[in-house]
Amino acid sequence: MNFINRAFKNVSRRMSKTVLLILTFFLIGNLVIIGLGVSKASESAKILTRQKMRAVVTYGLDYNKIWQYADTIEDEDELEEFYNNYPRIKLEEVTSFLQDERVKTANTVNINMWYADSQNSLDFVHLGNRAEEDIDSSSGQSCWYDDVTNEQMCETYKNPYFLIKSNMFPDMIEFEDGEYQIVSGRFYTQQEIDNGSLVCLISENLAALNGVGVGDSISLAVNYLAGYMQQFGLTEEDLENRFEVIGIFSHSQPITPDAPNFDYCYPYENPDNMIFMPSTTIYMAQLPMQQKQFDYYAEMYGDDENNEYYLDPANRPSEENMASQMNINDVTLLLNDPLDVDDFVRDYQGSLSQFAALSANNEEFNRLSKPLDTLSMYANFIVWLVVINAIVIITLVTALTLKTREYEIGVLLSIGASKLKVIGQFFIELAIVAVLGFTLSVVSGSLIAKRIGNTVLEYQIASSEVSQEEEYYYNGHGFDPWNTDYTTDISLEDLVSEYEVRISPLIIGEIYVLGLGIVLISVIIPSFMIMRYNPKKILMNQN
Amino acid sequence: MTEILRLENINYSYIDGGYERQILKDLSYSFEAGKFYTILGPSGSGKTTLLSLVAGLDTAKSGKIYFNGKDIDEIGLHKFRRNAISIVFQQFNLISYLTAVENVMLAMSETDNEIPKDRKNVAYNLLERFGIVRSKADRMVNQLSGGEQQRVAIARSLASNVDLIFADEPTGNLDTATEKEIISIFKELAHDFGKTIIVVTHSDTVSAMSDQRVLLKDGKLTKIK
Ligand SMILES: Nc1ncnc2c1ncn2[C@@H]1O[C@H](COP(=O)(O)OP(=O)(O)OP(=O)(O)O)[C@@H](O)[C@H]1O
Ligand SMILES: [Mg+2]
Repeated sequence: MNFINRAFKNVSRRMSKTVLLILTFFLIGNLVIIGLGVSKASESAKILTRQKMRAVVTYGLDYNKIWQYADTIEDEDELEEFYNNYPRIKLEEVTSFLQDERVKTANTVNINMWYADSQNSLDFVHLGNRAEEDIDSSSGQSCWYDDVTNEQMCETYKNPYFLIKSNMFPDMIEFEDGEYQIVSGRFYTQQEIDNGSLVCLISENLAALNGVGVGDSISLAVNYLAGYMQQFGLTEEDLENRFEVIGIFSHSQPITPDAPNFDYCYPYENPDNMIFMPSTTIYMAQLPMQQKQFDYYAEMYGDDENNEYYLDPANRPSEENMASQMNINDVTLLLNDPLDVDDFVRDYQGSLSQFAALSANNEEFNRLSKPLDTLSMYANFIVWLVVINAIVIITLVTALTLKTREYEIGVLLSIGASKLKVIGQFFIELAIVAVLGFTLSVVSGSLIAKRIGNTVLEYQIASSEVSQEEEYYYNGHGFDPWNTDYTTDISLEDLVSEYEVRISPLIIGEIYVLGLGIVLISVIIPSFMIMRYNPKKILMNQN
Repeated sequence: MTEILRLENINYSYIDGGYERQILKDLSYSFEAGKFYTILGPSGSGKTTLLSLVAGLDTAKSGKIYFNGKDIDEIGLHKFRRNAISIVFQQFNLISYLTAVENVMLAMSETDNEIPKDRKNVAYNLLERFGIVRSKADRMVNQLSGGEQQRVAIARSLASNVDLIFADEPTGNLDTATEKEIISIFKELAHDFGKTIIVVTHSDTVSAMSDQRVLLKDGKLTKIK
């Protein structure tokens, strides 16, 4: 008749007490299951939605900080100096992010639009039903003042054919995502980026149309020879370059005739006419044009003291100056795991350079998930409230029953049972009823939690007045060629559809752990009472 | 005769209303094995206190208690209680949610003394030996009469196979007929089982049946001839 045995006998033979305690634990269990179920459902809805979002962090200049800083400069010369050396994104900082193993790649996308060369050796892939002449010359005009005559000159603007997407890193989010896939050849390398090598990747349709393969070269013009350029002494040859095709890609964004405005598509709006190359390649390709322009102005303003800019050789576009003159726009970092995004931002936020900012772009996500957060908070609050109340109640019940069991304790001690065994017996008695009560509550609690779970979320959404923001849509064909926003748009429905109250084995495990925790804490005070119990009392109480 | 329990210069006092009240003063006494003792004395003279000391439930201010020549402090009070003694209480003090036979087996599970393998049968036999038949042995103890409950308590005190059995007014709640039966059982325990029995009592009937009467008065034990 050891203490475990005694505990079972006590529980099975003191039925009214046992039933009452089971009922107590049953009620506690139900509340805890509902609370945990709802809280877990809210948390996992957030996690699941987050996992579906692209794991991107944006890095760029914090213009508010720059303006605030500029406001503090009172001296005008100093202010001019500040604007002349306007803060720039630091490439080294982006490179250091890439050392972090959480980061897959970075996009520092520049978008340019280029032309076929003067011989029209490269044909673009047609899309839509625009007439040829309409494609070449839109209704737009480009105008300038002649530097000599000061007369306004205008000419019809020529539409470009090719969209050039460039990056400073040898990989792109588009390719990591599988939106674009290399079907032959390869992506450009770091060395090619460092050198500004004239290399490019073209679409398989463009390649097929022009009979070009990997290793061949294509000729492109960075601009058409506009009238104003001729005053710089530019020729068509200055604008044209040959690029080696190092890779051919396919893409998953074909524009079909049922796309909106399909008929009015321009060639550069067709992803088939997209060309990828390093950002430095663009710089190198534009170099003759930039140099002639620079030299022209340098000569024109040369002796003017106010034109220090053209006097400084560091400002002249050249291969040597490339590294210092490369301008990076906003950077998008692609992480391996969407769930790392917030941590990543938090880790680096404190150590960024002066005007830089990192953003998890989760404002919308956070705003939309407010109802879930609130729900989860309330649910957790209820769980803790119930647990604390349970501890108080069970402690009281145990302490009170202890009074009625003093003789029993005295007998056990006089027989030679140790106090620890007495405490052990009390613990096991409670644990048995807790397990029984909680087991019953798992069944009913799961059913109730599922019913209640959806109602409380609906109520929470209604009362928190979260509305869906108007989304921005590109007024085109579903493919936005200028888009450099890699964040994923989410809606309240996305979040709600992931919300499902499920009583998983994990929750059930947690409930038993909590239940045993309650029992364990509840026997602490009664244990002290037992430890302090003087066995002599059993003899004295007789009289 | 061999000595089993010796008390040497026991002093026991407690603080009451600011001054010390001494109950046991330099008390020394020697109990022999296999004898049935009764301790008599006025109410409040310290009989129960003395019993709690020899039962290892409390400790004296000074003095020593030897069991078979060994200081019980050295044996360890807990171990001493487990293996050397049993107590029979006035109010029987059985565990109410256990049956009679389970109460008897309870004592077997807490001792280190050698207990026969088939504990349940031993327990049934013990109970039967003291007039509790099988049908009653399987009842919850609160369904038994006072006399029957005290028999169960006595059976339990034997179950752990100890040498010393103490009882504090074991017949206080029983009628005279039952009292006589119970006391004859104690006598039997001493003479047939070789146990040393020390019973505190106010009853002349009880003390008349004992081998040795001892008086506790003014904090000391003295033999009554
Ligand atoms: N630890 C203690 N604290 C306070 N008083 C005590 C303590 N121990 C004993 N007493 C007191 O000492 C006296 C002796 O008590 P005890 O119970 O030993 O006497 P008793 O001889 O058994 O009396 P009775 O015949 O009435 O049972 C009593 O007045 C009791 O209240
Ligand atoms: Mg007494």
